[in-house]
Amino acid sequence: MAHPLPSGNSLARLFLPAWTIAVLVFLYLPIVLLVVYSFNNVPTNMDLSAHWHGFTLRWYRAMWADRTLMGSVQNTLIIASAVTVVSIVLGTGAAWLMHRFVFPAAGGLQTLILLPMIIPEIIMGVSLMLLFRAIGLNRGYLTVIIAHVTFCFPFVMAAVQARLAGIDPALEEAALDLGATPIRAFFSVIVPYLMPAIVAGGLLAFTLSIDEFMVTYFTYDASSMTLPILIYSEARTGLKLTLNAVSTLFIAGTILLVLAMELLRSRR
Amino acid sequence: MKHLHLGLIVAMILSLAGCHRSSQKQQQRLHLFAWSEYVPQEVIDGFTKQTGIPVDYEVYDSNEKMLTKLLSSPGHYDLIQPSEYMVEHLIKRGLLEPVDQSAIPNVGNLLPEYRNPEYDPGMKYSVPYMAGTVGIVYNSDKIKDPIRGYQDVFQPKYAGRIIVLDDNREIVSWALDVKGIDINDVSPANLAKVKPLLADWLKLIKIFNSDDPKPQLFSGDVDLSVVYCGDAAKLIEQDKKFRYVLPAEGAHRFIDNLCIPKDAPDKQAAEAFINYILRPEVSKIISDKFPYTNPNGAARKLLTPQQLANPASYPPESVHLEIFHDIGKANADISQLMTELRNGR
Amino acid sequence: MTQAVAIQPISNVRRPGWRGWGLFAPMLAWLALFVVAPTAILLVYSFFTGEGIGEVDTHFTLQNYQRIFTPVYLDLFWRSIVYAGATTILCALIGYPVAWYIGRAPASRRGKLLMLVMIPFMTSFLIRTYAWLIILHEHGLLNGFLEAAHLIPTVFSHPLNILYTPTAVMIALVYTYLPFMILPIYTSVEKLDPSLIEAAADLGAGRTRSFFRVILPLTWPGVAAGILMVFVPAIAMFAVTKIMSGGHIRLIGDEIQEQFEGGGDLPFGSALGMALLILFLVTYWISAGRGAKELRGA
Repeated sequence: MAHPLPSGNSLARLFLPAWTIAVLVFLYLPIVLLVVYSFNNVPTNMDLSAHWHGFTLRWYRAMWADRTLMGSVQNTLIIASAVTVVSIVLGTGAAWLMHRFVFPAAGGLQTLILLPMIIPEIIMGVSLMLLFRAIGLNRGYLTVIIAHVTFCFPFVMAAVQARLAGIDPALEEAALDLGATPIRAFFSVIVPYLMPAIVAGGLLAFTLSIDEFMVTYFTYDASSMTLPILIYSEARTGLKLTLNAVSTLFIAGTILLVLAMELLRSRR
Repeated sequence: MKHLHLGLIVAMILSLAGCHRSSQKQQQRLHLFAWSEYVPQEVIDGFTKQTGIPVDYEVYDSNEKMLTKLLSSPGHYDLIQPSEYMVEHLIKRGLLEPVDQSAIPNVGNLLPEYRNPEYDPGMKYSVPYMAGTVGIVYNSDKIKDPIRGYQDVFQPKYAGRIIVLDDNREIVSWALDVKGIDINDVSPANLAKVKPLLADWLKLIKIFNSDDPKPQLFSGDVDLSVVYCGDAAKLIEQDKKFRYVLPAEGAHRFIDNLCIPKDAPDKQAAEAFINYILRPEVSKIISDKFPYTNPNGAARKLLTPQQLANPASYPPESVHLEIFHDIGKANADISQLMTELRNGR
Repeated sequence: MTQAVAIQPISNVRRPGWRGWGLFAPMLAWLALFVVAPTAILLVYSFFTGEGIGEVDTHFTLQNYQRIFTPVYLDLFWRSIVYAGATTILCALIGYPVAWYIGRAPASRRGKLLMLVMIPFMTSFLIRTYAWLIILHEHGLLNGFLEAAHLIPTVFSHPLNILYTPTAVMIALVYTYLPFMILPIYTSVEKLDPSLIEAAADLGAGRTRSFFRVILPLTWPGVAAGILMVFVPAIAMFAVTKIMSGGHIRLIGDEIQEQFEGGGDLPFGSALGMALLILFLVTYWISAGRGAKELRGA
């Protein structure tokens, strides 16, 4: 296989992997620290110095016993899942429709859709709060999901649009020629083609939703409190290692999920 | 097929949720909107166990945040926890429901000096929760010179070793105290008088932090501070090298109260909660966790001698303390002044 | 390997009929309700006057905008732009080689490397920022490591004092936004046709020349997307800058938050927000425009 860089230079070939490893170390330094600290038997939450005080599982036990914390984790996951599903539907639908048809002022529409990606979260949060108050919608699960979807679905749309840019037009034609209705053609031919973009966009939407604080703060109520809200109000008063425990589990969960997907993919 | 996997995962997560949403329909429920880190979970759980009323606890970390959200959620909250100046403001705007004292017999546990506050005579709309002061904490291992007031703290030799509350009105009030001006007389003329002093002070401050100055003090990032007495008390509990001083130039006390907003959906539950936390054994739990000044005389009898001897929680009676009043539009003037000073470097 | 641009058959470029509009209607309704309406509300509020917490005088006035054009707030905007700009440049410089390496890695490894970059994202940004406090603290991890490696008495005369300085803020900002830069550049790199680069080399271009004349322009859409996804949110950043700088460095995001919640002047906060929005739109149109130009020119 031809090497992409002309006249291989050993220095250049070393540089890229070395640089990438250095960057990964930088990215993981705080992660490793917070995971290690979740097992650190720190006696007081006022100590910012880096000391190991002995191994303990007490933070995990405390986390499990903390109903507010566990409730917020549950809320976060539910909301993120709902947000991902709705974002995928809206994002894929919008991308496809804008690709299939030429709508008037398509450029303007495009900008409008991408606007929530751009607007700072606090502005989105406050203006949505004002809107919900104006239309009389009470804060709760629904408002949080709406708020999240509004800035998440453009990411799905952007990913799908990029993928659609490379689609072979003959694909849809072929499906229609074979007697399928446009809807059938869409689901059995187009969607599978778009799947990598849908998954990528959906993943991004999910990730954005589980860490979203600002917009949530203005649109939630006590029964829909999410983990970021809890973290924001608790993490600021000293070390809260139960939060480290939760974060560690999130990381572990993600790693397991990735491994599972890799396994399933290689099985095919 | 990839979308099958995605669907499976989504289904798994959703199934973890169970019937979470259904629980909140017909029964009584208390919507508590209070300061974060101020109402122990033990107290909330105890209330629910005692009365069978579940509690929704939303948090805020400033009186203004509380008001902003309160205004956009009419008929949502049963209890709020404003500070004294905010109680004044809320009463002025007719946003509070009178508290039926016959429904809270435990109110008799409050010490007499708290029963008739200037901001709400006769406790018509509010019931004191916890009080406290803002004062000076310093590390006596590192600071050997006497510290008696703000001017001792804000000396050039202590540059880069000071942490203060990230609260513009607080900082301005300290400067007003030094100049002998009433802390509630925030006129443009008075602000101009303290501006140079503030400019000098800001240069010496290492950290602005309202969330929690304790880690920085404990870890030695800073050695001097002007902070809430509750934080000071906790530091003193950890290590006796920390000392608390009420500034000689003048200090102010704050009193946080429980109030019932107008249109509260469940006034009875709110009053039941107030009555519950006025119980001495419950109030003691709050004091154990958040060592501020407890206005509940019956609760004080249950505290340990060490707790009562903590000078940050229970300062000597002799010092005269003012309180903040509602200053309305002058808040914006303070905000403008401090933004100018803090950004113009 | 089919090329990206194909000739569009006439049937593909269609006016939306009833069905098209029907299917698109929910999208438009969503936009109208949850994007246009809130922005309009914000715009309207920005012309009012704040009268104290939560009270608003609804007479039309431009005084909020006039206030923005005073040195205090212009400085604030400028500082935010500078920090965001520096963050963007650093992210681009640090992230491009990583994106290149992952994009040109064998297909089986690409996915795993990408996930490796994304995993730290799965934790709260606030918790990661607090972890940096412990790392950069005077008695923290970094200094502990330097002392253990005996670098402290020798190379550095005393423990490093990074925390609460602009350096700490930059570290945290770059840390927060690096993946946002790596991902878009990666998508551009991945689509790159290696034969184009080889062709350039065959025609005599050195490595530097082929980078600037061939590779960079071809990957520019990714870089432009990365710039947008970093610069724009970075300006509105709050919390992180306050924590890492000990409350000294406040950006526009912190100020807007202060106005909405602390200072209680909703109209002024709205005006600041609108100003920020306009700044964003300008940035977006410039970078989108330049991206398109590069594509046409390449």
